[in-house]
Amino acid sequence: MLLSTSPALRASFFALPPSLRRACYATATSPSASHPEIFDLVCVGGGPAGLSLISSLKSQSSTKRLKIALIDAQKLSAPPRTGDGDASGTREFSNRCSSLTPASVKFLKRIGAWENVEQGRVQAYTGMEVWDGVSGAKINFDPMDRGRVAGVVESLGRLVPGSGFGRGAEDEGAGEVATMCENSNLTAALVERVRGLEGVEVLDGTKVEGIELGPEKEKDGMSLDLSLWPVLRLPGNRKIAARLLVGADGANSPVRTFADIPSKGWDYNQHGVVATLQLDQVQDVSAPRKAFQRFLPTGPIALLPLPGNKASLVWSTTTALASHLKSLPPAEFTAAVNAAFRLLTTDISYMLTHSTASQDLDWRESQTDLRALGLPQDFPRVDSVVSGSIASFPLRMRHASTYTGHRIALIGDAAHTIHPLAGQGLNLGLADAESLARHLAIGMEAGMDIGSCWCLDGYGSDRWGKNNAVMGVVDKVGKVFGASAGPVVWARSLGFNAVERLGWVKGGLMRGASG
Amino acid sequence: MPHSSPSSLLALPASIRSLIVAQSRLQSATPRLATAATRLGHVQTTRSYATESTTAPQSSVNATEVSHFNTLASEWWDPHGSSRLLHLMNPLRHQFINRCLATHGGEHTTQRKYLDIGCGGGIFAESAARLASTKSVIAVDPTPEVISVAKQHQRVDPLLLEPGRLTYRNHSIEELPLPTSPSEGFDIVSLFEVIEHIQQPSPFLSNILQHIKPGGWLIGSTIARTSVSWFTTKFMAEEVLRMVPRGTHEWSQYIQPTEMRSWAKKEAELDADGIGWQVMGVVYVPGLGWKEVKGSEEWGNYFFGVRKSAAH
Repeated sequence: MLLSTSPALRASFFALPPSLRRACYATATSPSASHPEIFDLVCVGGGPAGLSLISSLKSQSSTKRLKIALIDAQKLSAPPRTGDGDASGTREFSNRCSSLTPASVKFLKRIGAWENVEQGRVQAYTGMEVWDGVSGAKINFDPMDRGRVAGVVESLGRLVPGSGFGRGAEDEGAGEVATMCENSNLTAALVERVRGLEGVEVLDGTKVEGIELGPEKEKDGMSLDLSLWPVLRLPGNRKIAARLLVGADGANSPVRTFADIPSKGWDYNQHGVVATLQLDQVQDVSAPRKAFQRFLPTGPIALLPLPGNKASLVWSTTTALASHLKSLPPAEFTAAVNAAFRLLTTDISYMLTHSTASQDLDWRESQTDLRALGLPQDFPRVDSVVSGSIASFPLRMRHASTYTGHRIALIGDAAHTIHPLAGQGLNLGLADAESLARHLAIGMEAGMDIGSCWCLDGYGSDRWGKNNAVMGVVDKVGKVFGASAGPVVWARSLGFNAVERLGWVKGGLMRGASG
Repeated sequence: MPHSSPSSLLALPASIRSLIVAQSRLQSATPRLATAATRLGHVQTTRSYATESTTAPQSSVNATEVSHFNTLASEWWDPHGSSRLLHLMNPLRHQFINRCLATHGGEHTTQRKYLDIGCGGGIFAESAARLASTKSVIAVDPTPEVISVAKQHQRVDPLLLEPGRLTYRNHSIEELPLPTSPSEGFDIVSLFEVIEHIQQPSPFLSNILQHIKPGGWLIGSTIARTSVSWFTTKFMAEEVLRMVPRGTHEWSQYIQPTEMRSWAKKEAELDADGIGWQVMGVVYVPGLGWKEVKGSEEWGNYFFGVRKSAAH
């Protein structure tokens, strides 16, 4: 009940003397009333961040005995696997996919979740072709360049057999930039992992009715004092108290609201349009795949590979264009996507406002010098779009001003929201979970109360700065490439071309992008 | 206090320096701190240890110290209060304890019994009580206000309220009953930031030894007595940066690690010759926290650990 009132009202409520405050509680808090059930950690939110945090805690010796509750308003059952009474063969790919960095995959392997992922439905890719929609200037992220970042000594050392240099480039997954994975595939794998764990009570299909602080402590004696513990009210009059309350509950996090942590940022006035596409090329299963991204003035359009001849589309564009695209019949949507990769930006805007018939596309394409526009040679053609897979979501950037409070920690989208152009959002959330689990282990080994600032401050200072830097870069890239004015385009093309020529800078960028 | 440069202060003899520091304290101090200044009549540059005592152990409690710590009690658990440095140092205490226990591998893995002497508000006592390898913690402090704060803070954690896990006692260590048999002693007797507040350290330590079980450890932390430690812990910490409340430390009571070890070697029941003696120097770097710095025990804060021989 308190949660739905304004922060000002809540603040003035807490300013009341304790005796008056107590009178406002629904249930009489007599000194002998039993206290709520106590958990070491309550995680609100059963998305990838929350699930991987719990899996990680249970895989570390110093944290595996923590008593944990996981709460999610949705049911967390694993979706049906391939072959489960599906006569037509492979299920269609979901339009919500994420690009996992090698560091994320390593983390998922360590916590025992990656083995549950359906491998037939993930796609590793080894390169990303990115080019400027206005100038055609391009940059090709080729993993071979990464070796050069190590330095001249290492490069020379690689020429000498047995010198030991250059071994860094041969580590596991060195050839991969990322792995495309459906969100549902990843979540199902994590759910399966968590359900097999001891000491975790999964309260799915359960809506948190409210979060408050515990009852006032008794003046005399040595009874338990939960007055500064978060207490969650669940359906059926159940109350649970959390030594540490983790908000993994998404961009509009109620835990963050309870903790009075402000979240600042801005809306991009853009929407991300997603869809699952069918490509014309039949990919050899063993052939290395690539991702493609073209920066248009209205926003970048990206094609991310999925197994077989499928791909995932992420097109960040203006809100108006997004709703127009969603209204198009499938054939015209397909033409629009092909146009967005192949045509001059002026042609694209004309097509989108007037007609997206495929004949129009063919005619315009024949008039266009594709190479001058930077279209990569191996770029596929989109054949069709999987019906029902077109959707959109608003794009915005938000960053919580702090990730921790007394007995509070935020991870994932509850802590930060980012533009999808660099595919970082999910990876940042997994990195948050890994960092928090690690700091809780450090705290447990030093006998700390895991809800105290001594334990949580380390997590906040580890992740806040790093996330802030990534979000800053992604935001700037989006803004710089959102312009189509001459000088800006020239300057950014120079940036692109210069990076292209200086392989070691590019390698460094790629190493950063790989997490 | 006159604004003299640190180097000119350090050039003065120790006794004059202590007088200057005490004078500045007096100017802003309440009347009870005046007793500290009168003690300066017999400031020494070396500690003399009374090794023989024919009377029953006198209380090690110093009324001035007690009243000083009483005033700090209320902010003991404030993350940005006067005890912040102690909170930040606490994880290193556990690290050092584990290092000491590891020298004799595997003996004290689980069900350890702790005696924390001079527990203050319970920073170490609480953290020891939470560990899975701990059976019980007895925490003793003569200061009534800080024990009261410690008990109130204990109520916040249900784990610490489990029967027998953490018990606070408000009296001097001399009043704690001795173990009925050697094996009823404690696995670890901890003495963190205490010995520098004791005026007669030798009989105090000898009395404590009786509480350790054979094979158990006496583990503590204190500060070396050098011009550097005077500069960092008295001048900078107390006067300039105000990170430590003024009057907390008495520089003349600091102990050198070599002095600790000499005392330990004289005790028959202690094993201070080989790996039964451990020392670890630590330094506080503002912004980074406490870090182990090899060799810094010669001039700064350090941990010491000494093992009681098993066959006794």
